[in-house]
Amino acid sequence: MLGILDLLGTIGGNVLSLPGILGLALGMMTRNWIVAAILGGLVGVFETVVFAGFRFTDIGSFDLAIAVLVGVLAGSLGCAIRHKGATA
Amino acid sequence: MSDPNEKPKGGLIRRLWDGFWSPVAAFSVGFIAIGGFLGGVLFWGAFNWSMELTNTEEFCTGCHTMETNLGEYRETIHYNNHSGVRAICSDCHVPHEWQHKVKAKIIAVKDVYHEIVGTISTPEKYEEHRLAMASLVWKKMKASDSRECRNCHNFEYMDFTIQETRAASEHQRAIDENMTCIDCHQGIAHALPPDYLEEYKRVTDELQANASPESQKTDDVAAVRSYLGNLSN
Ligand code: HEC
Ligand code: HEC
Ligand code: HEC
Ligand code: HEC
Repeated sequence: MLGILDLLGTIGGNVLSLPGILGLALGMMTRNWIVAAILGGLVGVFETVVFAGFRFTDIGSFDLAIAVLVGVLAGSLGCAIRHKGATA
Repeated sequence: MSDPNEKPKGGLIRRLWDGFWSPVAAFSVGFIAIGGFLGGVLFWGAFNWSMELTNTEEFCTGCHTMETNLGEYRETIHYNNHSGVRAICSDCHVPHEWQHKVKAKIIAVKDVYHEIVGTISTPEKYEEHRLAMASLVWKKMKASDSRECRNCHNFEYMDFTIQETRAASEHQRAIDENMTCIDCHQGIAHALPPDYLEEYKRVTDELQANASPESQKTDDVAAVRSYLGNLSN
């Protein structure tokens, strides 16, 4: 029970913070799908490291994986928006 | 680009969708940008504000099931003390950091579910369920190194010379062994179920076992972290 909620909560927290929002914004800046996904993923890594206060022992692999996944998806969505909504 | 004279086709949703993605001729880029910015600010403000509303004591205790805890908490130092500074429910139970806060709020959806099905609707049911709930809270606090306590309390600024001897020596031990507040301060705000010590031990053992090998906090890692902590301060 808590397992699923924990997962959903972590995803929600990421969608509404840096990986989701900055990832989307960066994705919208490029038409290149790969670049968009990488930028999003980098935001995920960046956020996890910064919010763990640069103490690498504090970084959970679960949190990192979710943050990167959300970042990649947000970046790709941003890229899709760019393709659909802009002519340049 | 679509021909403006073309008849709109499809249903309402289809036309809205097409309209949403079609370029605008009537507005300048600046107009759209400023409009979008204002919309964003208003939305974020409203979102944050309503989230803060769910952090008030009135909100938490709006559910009568939470009144047992309210009563117990009212007897403690975090409600009533000589300085008048207090900690409310959300200070201890809801993180400040944005992403942890969103997560806590999403998980709290289960509270609403349990309220509806009446998991803890009577005092008897409450007592029966207390250990399970307390154990959940311990798990979270242990995993977060009692983050919420540390929003207000900090070993760094504790004057061990004016603390009781027992408190000072235990806190020194806590720093040396990298223990966390909840390791010793269970029941700081609520009554404890009788067999809480065994359950607490079970929770910590389980967390220890689940921790991946590299993140397991061995004594060495603890020592290195204390050392690094001292460097950065
Ligand atoms: C909708 C009514 C309702 C509201 C509002 C509510 N609670 Fe609860 N709460 C419950 C119920 C029902 C449970 C038992 C859920 C369970 O068995 O997991 C519970 C369980 C808890 C638990 C123990 C289990 C856990 O999830 O850690 C804590 C702590 C808690 N609530 C704190 C709070 C705080 C703090 C607030 C205000 C931010 C709050 N509650 C608001 C109904 C509510
Ligand atoms: C909102 C800030 C805040 C938070 C969060 C908070 N406290 Fe406190 N705590 C206080 C204040 C204020 C006092 C009373 C200080 C005084 O007036 O003596 C206090 C007092 C205490 C005391 C002294 C009790 C006594 O009988 O002298 C303990 C122990 C304590 N807190 C532990 C905790 C623990 C454990 C947590 C986390 C679960 C926690 N606190 C979270 C503000 C906070
Ligand atoms: C190794 C066990 C242990 C740990 C870990 C621990 N404490 Fe304590 N603490 C005690 C004991 C024992 C006392 C004295 C008895 C009491 O007041 O409950 C005490 C007392 C206190 C007091 C009251 C001091 C006074 O002189 O009024 C505060 C406040 C407090 N602890 C906060 C914390 C906080 C915050 C943490 C986590 C950062 C923490 N403690 C971690 C054992 C511990
Ligand atoms: C000083 C910090 C603190 C404050 C303030 C606080 N709690 Fe708690 N709460 C805890 C801790 C710690 C636990 C874990 C169980 C324990 O050690 O007693 C807990 C456990 C709980 C539980 C699980 C069941 C139980 O009785 O253990 C519920 C429900 C709960 N709190 C609700 C509330 C509500 C509602 C409020 C506000 C009226 C509140 N708490 C205020 C620290 C706090």
